[in-house]
Amino acid sequence: MSLLLEACALSHVYPDGSVGLDGCSLAIRSGSRNALLGSNGSGKTSLLLHFNALLQPTAGGVRFAGQPVDYRRSGLNALRRRVGLVFQNPDRQLFSASVIEDVSFGPLNLGLDEATVRRRVAEALAAVGMSELADKPVHHLSFGQKKRVCIAGVLAMQPEVLLLDEPMAGLDAAMQVELQALLDRLAGHGITIVLSTHDVDFAYRWADDIHLLAAGRCLASFAAADLPQHALPLRTAGQPLPAVVEFHRALAGHGLGGSTPPRSLDALLAHLTSKDTA
Amino acid sequence: MLIERAAYGNRWRRVTPAAKGAFALAGLIAAFAAPTPASALLVALLLAGVACLGAGVAPALYLRAAAPAVGFLGLSGLTLLLAIDSDFSWRWAPEAWPRVAALTARSLAALAALLGLVLTTPLPDLIGLLRRLRCPALLLDLMVLCYRMLFVFSAALHDTATAQRARLGYASPRLARRSLGLLAANLTLQVWQRAQGLHRAALARNGDGALRLLSPEFAHARRDTACAAVAGALLVILARLAA
Repeated sequence: MSLLLEACALSHVYPDGSVGLDGCSLAIRSGSRNALLGSNGSGKTSLLLHFNALLQPTAGGVRFAGQPVDYRRSGLNALRRRVGLVFQNPDRQLFSASVIEDVSFGPLNLGLDEATVRRRVAEALAAVGMSELADKPVHHLSFGQKKRVCIAGVLAMQPEVLLLDEPMAGLDAAMQVELQALLDRLAGHGITIVLSTHDVDFAYRWADDIHLLAAGRCLASFAAADLPQHALPLRTAGQPLPAVVEFHRALAGHGLGGSTPPRSLDALLAHLTSKDTA
Repeated sequence: MLIERAAYGNRWRRVTPAAKGAFALAGLIAAFAAPTPASALLVALLLAGVACLGAGVAPALYLRAAAPAVGFLGLSGLTLLLAIDSDFSWRWAPEAWPRVAALTARSLAALAALLGLVLTTPLPDLIGLLRRLRCPALLLDLMVLCYRMLFVFSAALHDTATAQRARLGYASPRLARRSLGLLAANLTLQVWQRAQGLHRAALARNGDGALRLLSPEFAHARRDTACAAVAGALLVILARLAA
């Protein structure tokens, strides 16, 4: 897979002097599922804002499809057409009380005709399972439904890369499962997904690649399946090992659980159950 | 939120706002065309009946939504019946009654026409109609943002006030004044932060200042608008003939 997005020694200092990013370098492969894993203040949101060119680097740079990001108006429009960003708080993204109106905002800004926009809005709402609630006012939707509308608003622009800032924050367990299924479907359609999270269990279970962030730097990038071998950088980033890995190690000490650590507790349970029945 | 509840929960929710707007306009014309207070009151009754029986707005909800405006109208009517003499003493002015009655009845009919529109049409649909009527974009953008933020800030206001109440923020008049000040300061900051956040979110979706939004579509729009125009014309004729 080719590299789609790259942060090259990216640094950003906010106007108040706080450091958002400090020489952060990482690469996102086309069509992959990526988790930016780090604690609060590690630079995850700053990095996502740079990938959408809402922030400009103080030093270093961002490359998209091998080319440096062009920060002129036309360059920004071209980038944001292909790289969509879903914000953490839906109330900071949704500015219209009508679901259809809000979802149509992005595609209309692309200069598409009304028929195409209506088709895209319908497709995007169907993709996030919100077709039946399209006529409901935004303020009557639940937090999870608002989040889906936010995702639809970006999907309607048909981006190649979907950036999501803490998508699981504020969602209950059932909503998290639904959102994960939605992300899986989108990834199945070839969309490159980059999301920020501080949930190591989710990152290990869902992602193809994990990028560990701490103090504005990328400490390590590795395939999620290799995470158990990166305990040291995980500890440096203030992250524990996933519960399933700890559990698997304990079981392995008793000759149970198989040789390869499973990615989720469900997978571990399935392995143990199959062993019992065998 | 009474108007909001009726607007989203009535039988004419899916009727094009153009039809409802045309009928409301006809109601306003009928209110002005009504030659006597009785005919204006008849127009008001008919419009209220159409909203409650036709659109299915609950009469109790209708009356509650109308109450503040009707109260204000009643007070204004009473004030007009007072006269102040040259020695600054006041007296009732029965000679003003015919004009006050005509004015109040017409205002009531006009109120019923507007209530019929807003209680059956959600604001985003109305904004869509105004957009088609080529209202200034800046005004419509402000309406879109204000309407959305109304709910966002009412939730923020409620949350903050609840948090203050939970820590005895309103236990005494002095504390209440202090809490209210802190609440206002906090909301002011939130307004600024949210404005920045929305601007950033709009930029992320290629926004360049103007809010380009798709208006909702309505089935049978032409048929419904034609029906509303005919009903409106009949209402105006009835108002003239009812004299």
